[in-house]
Amino acid sequence: MAALASSVKWVWALSVLLQLALFALLFFKGSFRRLPILTTYIALNLCQAAYLLYLYSGAGSNLRSLAWGSEAVTLIFQALAATEAIRLALKPYPGIWGLGWRAIGFIAAMLLTYIAKHTAGNYSWALLELDRGYHLLFATAIISCFVLIRYYAIRVPVAYKLLLGGFCFYSCIVILTNTVLQSLLYGNFAAYEPIWQFASILAFALVQLVWTAALRRPLPVDDRLRALASDDIYQQVSPIIDSRLRLLNEKLLRIWKTEARSQ
Amino acid sequence: MSLSLFIFFCVAVLFLTLLVWLLRDPGEDALTERGLDSPEEFGQRHATYFPQVRRAMAREDFTFLALRGSAALTRRVRRERQKIAVVYLTCLRDDFAKLWRLARVIARMSPRVGIAQEFTRLRLGLTFYLRYELIRVKFVVGIAPAPDLSSLSDMVSKLAIRLETAMSELGERAALSADLASTLHRRGVDAP
Repeated sequence: MAALASSVKWVWALSVLLQLALFALLFFKGSFRRLPILTTYIALNLCQAAYLLYLYSGAGSNLRSLAWGSEAVTLIFQALAATEAIRLALKPYPGIWGLGWRAIGFIAAMLLTYIAKHTAGNYSWALLELDRGYHLLFATAIISCFVLIRYYAIRVPVAYKLLLGGFCFYSCIVILTNTVLQSLLYGNFAAYEPIWQFASILAFALVQLVWTAALRRPLPVDDRLRALASDDIYQQVSPIIDSRLRLLNEKLLRIWKTEARSQ
Repeated sequence: MSLSLFIFFCVAVLFLTLLVWLLRDPGEDALTERGLDSPEEFGQRHATYFPQVRRAMAREDFTFLALRGSAALTRRVRRERQKIAVVYLTCLRDDFAKLWRLARVIARMSPRVGIAQEFTRLRLGLTFYLRYELIRVKFVVGIAPAPDLSSLSDMVSKLAIRLETAMSELGERAALSADLASTLHRRGVDAP
């Protein structure tokens, strides 16, 4: 435990307390039934905290790799928990859900290629690069979903919005801290590590606080209109709209050209 | 700071800004599900006022004023009527915006959505707005030809009629599915 700075220990303790409160809320309000993966994710985080406490107390020789190993498991569950929240937010609209999946898949493939190229040959910072790459991918996916939600004017319960917003906020803070600290403290791990730990744990604690506020009440009953069983109207109307919009654009272009010629 | 680190930094800041904007309540921009059963929202089409606007833009009036009135009066009337044309163009854009939003409701209520179709519509909508802004700026300094405006109005009107028909059909089906869901709910059956 001596390996951790006292400020880090305090913020860590705060984060653990908030996670415990959130875990209790999920159970007592019955939200764990609708958010089972998020509940598992919080439970895993608590287990990870206990595991890290054990690791830091014993001061094992390969502390770093063991700590990062446990992080990989929680990151996988983080992605699954976010997917669960997105699925619930878009549940009544399977068409938009399908569109979102395809869009995210395309963006993810492009980003993964970029991250792989960026990480190759940068072995001293490989773990941090991978961590940042993951969070970049994750934040992009959530932002894309939010853009879709806004574009199609989908009404999403505040609790789901805050859950997704919290995930995205944390990922953005991790990207920022990794980037800023890597550029400022390059080659100075001793000074770098406590600051990195403090910043990321504090951001995580803030997210837990927001989630606790969001889940203090039971999740609302989903009273939104559901998508229709048939896509006949979409198939009939969409091409008409597209052709009309195209013609409208051509007309506007013609006005523009006429104006340009007349001057 | 290397270029890639700078990019990462900018992306994170951009995402945080976007997140704040996206989490904000959409307010008036939001097209609520009320839109499905409120056809009056789409009832007032400014495109229908085109004959009056065309009349206001008629060359004959200006020729008459130039012959009978003063040059200052002709300039004043022309300026005022230019303003009317700009307001009309803005209203036309609003009509277009409503229809565009309506198209998104149709996509939202569909169980399957074509990515290519949606992307095309997004691109067309953005192009429309860009061109509209360019033309509006042109309108402020001069007058766009009336026949072109006329066809623009016709197009918005036709699109509105077609979409209203589709929306009323969609509204009926939505009401039917809501009825069905509530019946199932009353009987204690979980709707899929």
